[in-house]
Amino acid sequence: MDFILQSLVIGLTENAPLVLAAIGFALLYKLTGLINVAYSETITLGAYFGMWLNTTYGLDFYTVLIPAGLLAGVVSLVTYLVLFRPAKRRNVGGLEMIIISFGLSIFLRHALQFVFGYPERFFDVPPPDTIMLFGVGVTSFRLLALASVAVISLLLWLFIQRTSYGLQMRALASDEALAKVSGIRPLAVTMLVWAIAGVAGGMAGAFYGVGTSVSPLLGWRQFLLILMVALVGRNWGLGGVIAVGICTSVALVAMALQFDQALYAQLVLIVIFIVILKVRGSRLAETAKV
Amino acid sequence: MTFDFLDSFLITGLFSVVMVTGLALLLHLQLGLTRIANFGVVGFWGIGMYVFGVLYVKVDWSFGDPYQFLVCAAIATIASGLAGLLVGWLIADLDTDGVLVVTLGFATAVQLVATAQDDITGGARGMGGLDFPFDIGKVKDNELLWLGFTMAVVAGILFYVWRVHRSPYGRHLIAVGANERLARSLGKSTSRTKLWLFVIASAAMGLLGAMNGVMVRFLDIGNLGIDITLAAMAGLILGGTARVWGAVVGVFLTVGVFDIVIQSYLPLPREWYTQAIPVMREAIFGLTLIIVLLFRPYGILGDMRRDSLMRKIHGR
Repeated sequence: MDFILQSLVIGLTENAPLVLAAIGFALLYKLTGLINVAYSETITLGAYFGMWLNTTYGLDFYTVLIPAGLLAGVVSLVTYLVLFRPAKRRNVGGLEMIIISFGLSIFLRHALQFVFGYPERFFDVPPPDTIMLFGVGVTSFRLLALASVAVISLLLWLFIQRTSYGLQMRALASDEALAKVSGIRPLAVTMLVWAIAGVAGGMAGAFYGVGTSVSPLLGWRQFLLILMVALVGRNWGLGGVIAVGICTSVALVAMALQFDQALYAQLVLIVIFIVILKVRGSRLAETAKV
Repeated sequence: MTFDFLDSFLITGLFSVVMVTGLALLLHLQLGLTRIANFGVVGFWGIGMYVFGVLYVKVDWSFGDPYQFLVCAAIATIASGLAGLLVGWLIADLDTDGVLVVTLGFATAVQLVATAQDDITGGARGMGGLDFPFDIGKVKDNELLWLGFTMAVVAGILFYVWRVHRSPYGRHLIAVGANERLARSLGKSTSRTKLWLFVIASAAMGLLGAMNGVMVRFLDIGNLGIDITLAAMAGLILGGTARVWGAVVGVFLTVGVFDIVIQSYLPLPREWYTQAIPVMREAIFGLTLIIVLLFRPYGILGDMRRDSLMRKIHGR
């Protein structure tokens, strides 16, 4: 019982940003049909923007969280308008679109080092208090991060399921032609999705960054898990992505505690996700709507 | 004949170009002909390098070089081929998205295993003890000879790829890449084709990995990042994914410019070489992928000659 409680508490508090990032990625994937590898750099940039605002202007972490997310959202939107939209207009294929996003990911990851510097950076935050939760010590900061991620995820879910913009997004993702004749403006809705996905990724990045350190590989290290959570969870909608994200977070910690080695936990999860994809099959038409 | 003009930087740069050319040629079969985006090149290459390294250093062989090298390299090649068999089976019925996940996952898994099994691989500390399978005098002479051997292997790969282009098997690969469903409806076994392709290409990538291990003589998990996959992909796409010589031309223009021209010939401040140049190299490779695919998707050498021949035949 202790083991289960430990896994639940540590898993949820440590890996909460994974759920947020996976929601943003899944949104984008659902609408565009594109695996945007550069999403990993949206996460990284969120961490860098947050760290920059925090250390330059002396703002506390929760004050910089929303601006960091918004800036990452702007970057995400700009990449759509400057790169992916023109690529779509040039009828670039699905495979090439993935490679373009891979190229963008590599470019951003390295270019940002010329802006923010080469060394690892850190948020300037006070040392957190430790709170006992079901007998497990958790820092106040991680607990707040979990609560924030839960609230943001809920707001995103409500926005997509309950608002007219959300309805338009879902309509566009289901059938672009039908959505157009229904009066939905694809450009506006697509821009909105790229921005929201960017904000979610940026905020997740800020949470990752403040929990550890801010480095160019921050987003890339999380990307594979985010990608797998989004791909496996997408069949059950956004709720499915959240559920798979939570299960992944808890399983990661449970296995890390069991194996006494976090790397094996990641390895086992990668194998499990690949087996699921293999068994379920992933044969979809290359849409690349973007 | 003297090779005094070849300093250590130049030999390393040339070796890097030859190595990436070999990988880009193999990637050409997968990405260029069969349209399978293998993002896990480094995984197969890394398996070859580490299996070779561990066997060479940790096993107490009853015979010495060059047999020790040959046996270890053969086992490393087979191990990478088997990994190719597994990954080929996994991706056989997956779309592009699935292929990305599996190949990326495979490369990450190789890195995780190499890191976690540090008592065998040296993990983050790295592993030394590798050496050339011969000793002809100075280190530079050994490196030069090894560069020659590697060039011979890559020339062999180039010849194989050239032959594939002109064989029924090559046409089969192109058919799978162009329209897999149609190829299958015509009675072609597309899954077996992909499987065979992955086994051959992965085994060759593993052999190149083993040869790289000999040259660097120190295995470091830092080598198992995405950099080598990126270099092979950027070179191939710049040169042209559809043409045999695309990989060669592209890698010379990307890796060659950075690892030979800039590294050996440009009078840049010394401190730039430690961080600024490697970071700029990767950023420009990424930018290359974007620009080429947006403005010249078939790369410098353009589309396959076979297509222009078909256009002539059909009068278009």
